[in-house]
Amino acid sequence: MFEKVLVANRGEIAVRIIRACKELNIRTVAVYSEIDANSMHVQMADEAICIGKAASSESYLRIDRIISAAEVADVDAIHPGYGFLSENAHFAEVCESCNIKFIGPSPQAMNALSDKAVSRALAKKAGVETPPGSEGTVDNEKEALATAKKIGYPVMIKAVAGGGGRGMRIAHNDISLVKGFHTARTEAEKAFGNAGVYIEKFIENPHHIEIQILADTKGKIIHLGERDCSIQRRNQKLIEESPSPLLENKFRKLRDKIGKAAIRIAEAARYTNAGTVEFIVDDAGNFFFLEVNKRIQVEHPVTEEVTGIDLVRAQIEIAMGEPLRISQSDVVMKGHAIECRINAEDPFDDFRPSPGRIEMYYQPGGRGVRMETHAYAGYTIPPTYDSMIGKLIVTGKDRRDAIDRMNRALNEYLITGVKTTISFQQAIMQDPNFRRGVYSTNFVEQLLGGARRELIEEKT
Amino acid sequence: MDLKDIKAIIDLMKKNSITEFELEEKDSKLRLKRGLNGGAPVPQAVEDSNPLMPMPVQMAAPMLGGAPAAPAPNTGEIDIKSPMIGTFYRSPSPEAGPYLDVGSEVGPETVACIIEAMKVMNEIKAEVKGVVTQVLVENGKPVEFGQPLFKVRPS
Repeated sequence: MFEKVLVANRGEIAVRIIRACKELNIRTVAVYSEIDANSMHVQMADEAICIGKAASSESYLRIDRIISAAEVADVDAIHPGYGFLSENAHFAEVCESCNIKFIGPSPQAMNALSDKAVSRALAKKAGVETPPGSEGTVDNEKEALATAKKIGYPVMIKAVAGGGGRGMRIAHNDISLVKGFHTARTEAEKAFGNAGVYIEKFIENPHHIEIQILADTKGKIIHLGERDCSIQRRNQKLIEESPSPLLENKFRKLRDKIGKAAIRIAEAARYTNAGTVEFIVDDAGNFFFLEVNKRIQVEHPVTEEVTGIDLVRAQIEIAMGEPLRISQSDVVMKGHAIECRINAEDPFDDFRPSPGRIEMYYQPGGRGVRMETHAYAGYTIPPTYDSMIGKLIVTGKDRRDAIDRMNRALNEYLITGVKTTISFQQAIMQDPNFRRGVYSTNFVEQLLGGARRELIEEKT
Repeated sequence: MDLKDIKAIIDLMKKNSITEFELEEKDSKLRLKRGLNGGAPVPQAVEDSNPLMPMPVQMAAPMLGGAPAAPAPNTGEIDIKSPMIGTFYRSPSPEAGPYLDVGSEVGPETVACIIEAMKVMNEIKAEVKGVVTQVLVENGKPVEFGQPLFKVRPS
């Protein structure tokens, strides 16, 4: 039983983790950078320790300072949240060697899925199809051209160390391939410290379907259904929903197949704790493995709402050594949940980030509405971190019900002082194709190209 | 670093309303402060919250009582602040006397205290020249990043 947990993160996910700990009667320790001194997670935690200046590299990414804080506060475990150090095997190892439990997969499991190329190889061994592509990294122009010729254009050039939608380029012919290959390598080196890239067939009209898994330390692994995250802008997710309209409307039997494939991959990696296995599904219902996210994800609430399972609580319990109390047959998906990410960005100005002080804040409520946020009236959003200020999750008895409720909730949402993407989310909710459930990852691009500005009202 | 660079940095600071700038290179360190308040930089503080939405949740006492300080009254004193998280010790060993007391003279290279983290004893240098006017933390207490440890009247 953990007595104290340190939350090595900030913002809405830190608040989420602190709440889960409180419900388990576990004391919480927040760490914060100087600019986050008035942040909600600092106020909610039982104890708080300043770990550095605003820059993440000076604070939330400083393993030494986080461990020092953990020791000074005498914690039993650290929850890394998402991003930051959550998928850093070295950090997990340091925790282990300091006798602090890392709430997440083991360093060994992380290393088995260390980068995208390695994961592809593991998936293949587990008998799961991956998009046609290179075996491992592509190290020179000649190899790149040969691979592209073999699999056929269009192709994707992807950084092996990339994540969160970054480090990907499309090429439609030899010329763009060569140019993209070199640029991708340079960018990857700069952004991830690893220039390795691999090449994959680009699947037209792809649907991004991911499977939530939970694995305990006794070898039991279950899946909790899928989330459809195809609504993205520049590879950043905007809206997620469960179940996937594609699977519900067209490919009912696929859920079971993809779920089993996800479990096979997790078994091959000896995975423990919570994770998400990402797939691409094409219009014909073929599915291909993309990668494993070895952490709790931003959009986890959507799965929680349709399955009734508290995923962060499950993470903590698994880390405490408890066996999973539910079996695959106990997992039932009921109703429909949609999540809209709310970012402090100006949708009318190419989504430019809009940090600053929130003046008025009234968040939606009522039946079937869940807000996950750290924002409040008077809070100043710092410019140093990502622009997401909250997640609005809505549940309905079916998809239509959920969409109507999301419309109602977005209409109630009032934030002044900073620009937000609330109006843009409203435009998507009212889009006929989204409402029909007919969309793939190029949806947002098409919507912005069509510029249905009359549907987007500016809230003052 | 020459005067031209320093002037350029000062201009940038003025233009972007930056009040404090610190740059450490291999063989030199530059710290520039501007504005009326010579004390600790003030992180964004929430002043009056909207009366309709009172600040939710009572403030959890920051663990070490070392929450980023309100602007220090302009006495001209400088804080020696903790550069790390750990346990604060005033002397090199339990039997030895403290490194510093009120009235002690310090120079940039003077060891002010030890902060212990993960079983490693780190000597913390004063990095200022002057006389200690206050010892702010008790021996053996935990300290966090940026926490003021001593007040020094610079000379």
